[in-house]
Amino acid sequence: MKNLFVSVLFAATLLSRPAVSQVSFVETGRTAARLLDQATWGPTAADMIQVQTMGVNDWLNWQFSLNTSDLPDQPILTTAGMPNYDLTPVQSAFFQNAVTGQDQLRQRVAFALHETWVVSAVQTRWAYAYPPYWRIFRDNAFGNYRDIIKAVTLSPAMGDYLSMANNNKGNPAKGTSANENYARELMQLFTLGLTQLHPDGTPVLDTNNNPIPTYNQAVVTNVAKIMTGWTFPAAPNATPKNNNPFYFIGQMYAADINHDTSAKAIFGNIQIPAGQTAVQDLESLLDALMAQNTMAPFVCTRLIQHLVTSNPSPEYIARVSNVFLDNGSGVRGDMKAVVTAILTDQEARAGDSPGAAVSSSFGHLREPILFLTNLLRGLNATLDGANTLYRFPSQLGQNLFFPPTVFSYFSPQYRTEKGLLGPEFQINSTQTASFRADQVNTALYGTLEKDVKLDLTTYLAMGNDISSLLDYIDFIFMHQTMSSDLRAAATSAASAANTPLARVQAALYVVLTSGEYQVIQ
Amino acid sequence: MFTRRGMIRIGAASVGSLALRPFGLLPGLAQSGPDYRALVCVFLFGGNDANNMIVPMDDTSYKAYTSMRGTLALTGNALSAPITAVSGEPYAFHAKLTEVASMFKSKELAVVANVGSLVQPLTRAMYQAQQAPVPLNLFSHSDQQLQWQTSVGQGNSPTGWAGRVADYISSQNINSSKFPTFVSVAGNSLEGIGTQTQPVALAPGQSLQLAGFNTSAASQARLHAVDQLLTTDSGVALVQAANDTLSNSVADANALGTALSKAPGLKTVFPKTSLGAQLQQVAQIIQVNSVLGMRRQIFFVSLGGFDTHTDEINVHNTLYPQLSPALAAFYTATQELGLAQNVTTFTESDFSRTFQATSGLGSDHAWGSHHMVLGGAVQGGQIYGKFPTFEFAGPDDADVRGRWIPSTAIDQYGATLCSWFGIPDSALATVFPNLANFGASPKLQFLG
Repeated sequence: MKNLFVSVLFAATLLSRPAVSQVSFVETGRTAARLLDQATWGPTAADMIQVQTMGVNDWLNWQFSLNTSDLPDQPILTTAGMPNYDLTPVQSAFFQNAVTGQDQLRQRVAFALHETWVVSAVQTRWAYAYPPYWRIFRDNAFGNYRDIIKAVTLSPAMGDYLSMANNNKGNPAKGTSANENYARELMQLFTLGLTQLHPDGTPVLDTNNNPIPTYNQAVVTNVAKIMTGWTFPAAPNATPKNNNPFYFIGQMYAADINHDTSAKAIFGNIQIPAGQTAVQDLESLLDALMAQNTMAPFVCTRLIQHLVTSNPSPEYIARVSNVFLDNGSGVRGDMKAVVTAILTDQEARAGDSPGAAVSSSFGHLREPILFLTNLLRGLNATLDGANTLYRFPSQLGQNLFFPPTVFSYFSPQYRTEKGLLGPEFQINSTQTASFRADQVNTALYGTLEKDVKLDLTTYLAMGNDISSLLDYIDFIFMHQTMSSDLRAAATSAASAANTPLARVQAALYVVLTSGEYQVIQ
Repeated sequence: MFTRRGMIRIGAASVGSLALRPFGLLPGLAQSGPDYRALVCVFLFGGNDANNMIVPMDDTSYKAYTSMRGTLALTGNALSAPITAVSGEPYAFHAKLTEVASMFKSKELAVVANVGSLVQPLTRAMYQAQQAPVPLNLFSHSDQQLQWQTSVGQGNSPTGWAGRVADYISSQNINSSKFPTFVSVAGNSLEGIGTQTQPVALAPGQSLQLAGFNTSAASQARLHAVDQLLTTDSGVALVQAANDTLSNSVADANALGTALSKAPGLKTVFPKTSLGAQLQQVAQIIQVNSVLGMRRQIFFVSLGGFDTHTDEINVHNTLYPQLSPALAAFYTATQELGLAQNVTTFTESDFSRTFQATSGLGSDHAWGSHHMVLGGAVQGGQIYGKFPTFEFAGPDDADVRGRWIPSTAIDQYGATLCSWFGIPDSALATVFPNLANFGASPKLQFLG
């Protein structure tokens, strides 16, 4: 049965795709589907064939080579000459890219970085700030983490959001001090975290078994001083000044008159010497950050959580951390090597084999955006660039580009009631769980929106054969891991329905609302 | 350890989307018995700079305030007229806290000064010598938020203090239904998670009821299939967690739907803001407390945006006009319900902010903060606890920028609230594990 889908779809789907250079090994459908659930916005029949044909390594290399999806630049002002805060066109393009773009893995990694390096339109409202900011993550998704730190640090969007722009050195006469905002969150949320970690992610303990802080308040104050002196790029036709007003295209630049040139002691017992320029101080800081071994487990754990599982084992974290620390060629922070390590790790792939013993804590809840894109891709949606699909994840607590705070849409440290990490569960409440089911209901029994069309043809062809129908749903949505309980429940619901369409709707509703589907395993 | 509240029961009567009753159509009618009490937490996310929420107006303090706050100092019309507290000293509120100032004057609102996360009482000398236990990861948003919600400064508590209160209420069968004691109208919050009990979260004006079912055999079969899955143990922990949440949602939907369908409505008009809508929803649920079978309830609402590293004056001028009228409308609603004495509202926030300004007209993360307590049972018009001494590197400063070391612990603030709520001293030690560190009489007097 399953091979039938593959062979039927095989010829058609490969026509529009690059020739497969060599088939190194044939993956099982289950491997393909699981990998795609971890590495894309949702498996499709076509992509499963692609992975099976190319093999995991070639498929990854092909994905690394793609950079095809963009978000459209936005006007600064509306046609009425007012500030343009409308991010709808950017959100629409994001969903269009997610559902139809070829560079799926790049988008997923860029999105994970976007969820870490938060700039939120709740506070930084100008729409034109976001496409350039997004491109930092898109273009560096498979680059080097140091370049990401630097590009974000000099980005006017971040400069505005976390007060890095126009952060002048302290002024005793005015009673002001360097702004600590970016300095603190750069260390706490983007690079090092609060406590020192071993490469396996467990905390380094002192002699009293207490975790050792990565930095203290004095270090925050000093890193804030390092970050003084930067201002927004000057708008076209504006005279560049030492403190420019906000402008979100290009990079921030240094006005050394506003830079604090004192010596600064920072984390890791590192001393930044006195007398350096703002640029020199920044380069020194980037080197210092990259030299902290804690960065590897901190960054890698977050990426693993976004792509594969909320509760990676220490061994899994250590294997990926070691690649972050050295990609094999002496390079630290190589994202391509890190992403490869995450997706090809034995722990990520353990569930590929039928009957394999997978940890009961494995997997992660589909965050609302991933939940929606997976549903759209699995149900062969077509949509256009004017869609307003952002409304659905927004109702579930994930309003694209509008995370409530710098702590993002949800915290990597959020725990479920049994104590397991479950970041996405922070926004899965009694209310949003019920809305989630209602969105499945809307997609299947109603209309998501006018110009978003789902194509159930393949499913309907099996509307009189419930067993085949469930095989196919299992193939598309469950990587052929559907439990007998779920299969039985979906079968009973479908059997009670009277038409092929009603049977397809009932079976899909039961599967797509189930916890077993909601948690990617 | 986790108990689900019930199985899916969707009958014909509760099918479909539940519309909340519009306001102002019917006379308000308290449906509660005499023994009803509710706590309402208003969490100000981001770290409210309470240094500009209330300002002591005696000459010495105000002079120090204006000189030390510099670009952030409020003067003239930016402050309310000074109000003489019960103790005799003058205080002024931020001018945009009009209703708050008025309720302070009419003694319905009290301020508790310099409250924050502590493990034990702490002086500047002790803090700087690093020889006394202090809360983990001070000045970090996430950590201080969680410490406010758990009242545990050291280590990661899996439960919140209000969740532990809910456990106690449940263990004593004080409420006569399985509807959760803790209700969040602002998403999931650790504050309401207990060992035995789990909160319900709902969005203002929204139903928890699953859409798309009717009484046809096919529809009921589909519902039965969903029900069966929710009651099946898959053996995968996160699947179980997802099932638990949806299962609770469905159970609570029925209880809440039934109760709210009987609500007569409120006359009180709430502001058309997010916080206004949240507090309106809380008032509606309080109104049907007896139908729900509740004698004790804790509610959680929130207002975000207080992380004022820059542009603080303008941000406060936007946020305080949302906070103040919403609090006042809610208090008015409790009066309308005849429950003003039975409902106490209080604020929480990550931390206060540095007394010294940043270069961008803002302030950075700090520690102890002033908080508001509102209700008919509150001994208002008074400051409780102790204001910090306005002096950089002075006796209350953790460093040199006016990061005030709290003089009252969250444990003490919470224990005072919980004591009024009806939690006996014997149970307070479980709810606030560090309470004993704060002396033989740790509670304050703001609730009599």
